[in-house]
Amino acid sequence: MAMTVTLRVWRQAGPAAPGRLETYTANNVHPDMSFLEMLDVVNEDLIKAGQDPIAFDSDCREGICGSCGLVIDGIPHGPDRGATTCQVHMRRFRNGDTITIEPFRARAFPVLKDLVVDRGAFDRIIAAGGYVSMNVGGAPDANALPIPKDVADRAMDNAQCIGCGACVAACKNAAAHLFTSAKIAHLGLLPQGEAERGRRVVQMVEQMDAEGFGSCSNEGECEAACPKEISIASIARMNRDYLKAALGK
Amino acid sequence: MRLQQASASSIGSKILIALTGLALFVFLIGHLAGNLLFLAGPETFNEYSHKLISNPLVYVAEVGLLAVFFLHVAKTVAGVLTNRSARPTAYATRRWAKTKSPRSRKSLASTTMIVTGTFTALFLATHLATFKFGTFYEAGGIRDLYRLQLEIFSAPGYVAFYLVAMSVIFFHLWHGLSSAAQSLGVDHPQWTPRILVLGRVLSVAIAGGFFILPIYTFLLSRGVL
Repeated sequence: MAMTVTLRVWRQAGPAAPGRLETYTANNVHPDMSFLEMLDVVNEDLIKAGQDPIAFDSDCREGICGSCGLVIDGIPHGPDRGATTCQVHMRRFRNGDTITIEPFRARAFPVLKDLVVDRGAFDRIIAAGGYVSMNVGGAPDANALPIPKDVADRAMDNAQCIGCGACVAACKNAAAHLFTSAKIAHLGLLPQGEAERGRRVVQMVEQMDAEGFGSCSNEGECEAACPKEISIASIARMNRDYLKAALGK
Repeated sequence: MRLQQASASSIGSKILIALTGLALFVFLIGHLAGNLLFLAGPETFNEYSHKLISNPLVYVAEVGLLAVFFLHVAKTVAGVLTNRSARPTAYATRRWAKTKSPRSRKSLASTTMIVTGTFTALFLATHLATFKFGTFYEAGGIRDLYRLQLEIFSAPGYVAFYLVAMSVIFFHLWHGLSSAAQSLGVDHPQWTPRILVLGRVLSVAIAGGFFILPIYTFLLSRGVL
């Protein structure tokens, strides 16, 4: 049965332009449509009417690329636990609902257009230390480097981070601690990342602060909003690494 | 990395807030233990307070406590200002992510830390003015702090004010204690949930302990006890 929903969408022509919420009506919305498919339909109508379609990011639409990211009714990635925006379906809403859609808001994530934000700050944090340096050459035998299963699991839990930025969007301080700590833990837990562990945390935290993100209030809203449910235990681990690095040299 | 550079970073600042906060909490435990001697009667209480303030080391402790307190406040206020500027445009609609996942620790206490902290700082000023710099009664050659406390908490308004103040401190500790552990990097699959509970238990214990004093003194002054 087709639904009709009212959308209040943040429209902003460009980074320097003022933005505002505009109201649209989405007709013929099928409950099995994904949230982004619903927006596609709204955009088709806007294009047909000769209007500027609503700009939003998306790519894989299966929850693994980290491109999509909308604040739906005040919650990054909407109401579903452990899900990205593209995995939210219209059956989560009722006929006649009014849905507010805003971009991820942070000084470090400037709005480019409408619901699209520039998450380049995350790339710069990665560039500052989110890597493992190694010389080229023949790949070592996989079994030559034993890694306990629980350590590999924890590294993998953190490696799930898709860099979507929902942690920043959910945090009252627009802090990027969960993202940064996930990258630090994912690399630092493994023997390949151990050599640069101290340098990595210092450089990545320095870049994170320079980008204008806030600081952590240990509320864990990031963890609740994270589509990959990465734990704030990683933030504690980052703090520990940072303390060791600060006292070390 | 230089320590100075580290202490100015977002993580370094939080570590300092945690350390100073825990130091102030340890002071609170000592302060409560000392104050509970009021229940033992005027001689014990006055003797204890006399021994405390006549020890020359008390000045060192006071300066240290003041430094810790100001560091805690300065780092927090600076952090709040940075955090505010990190989101220049507010959300039109805001809901806690906790509504979709119970993994969030967000609470009324965690969202009001700066409010409860500011109130505590203001309370501290009135508290020092009332007791430390309050009327100097003498009994047996030493300060009669027992009489001052009895006098002050005979007024129901004062009792109510102190109970409110202790509730505010309880709120601050409810989030603050376990938050300090997280800032200091404590993370353990079994211990972290216990630390969360322990932080709350300790905040209840401290506030509860401080609740006893104005109520007991009030009842004593009214001849009920």
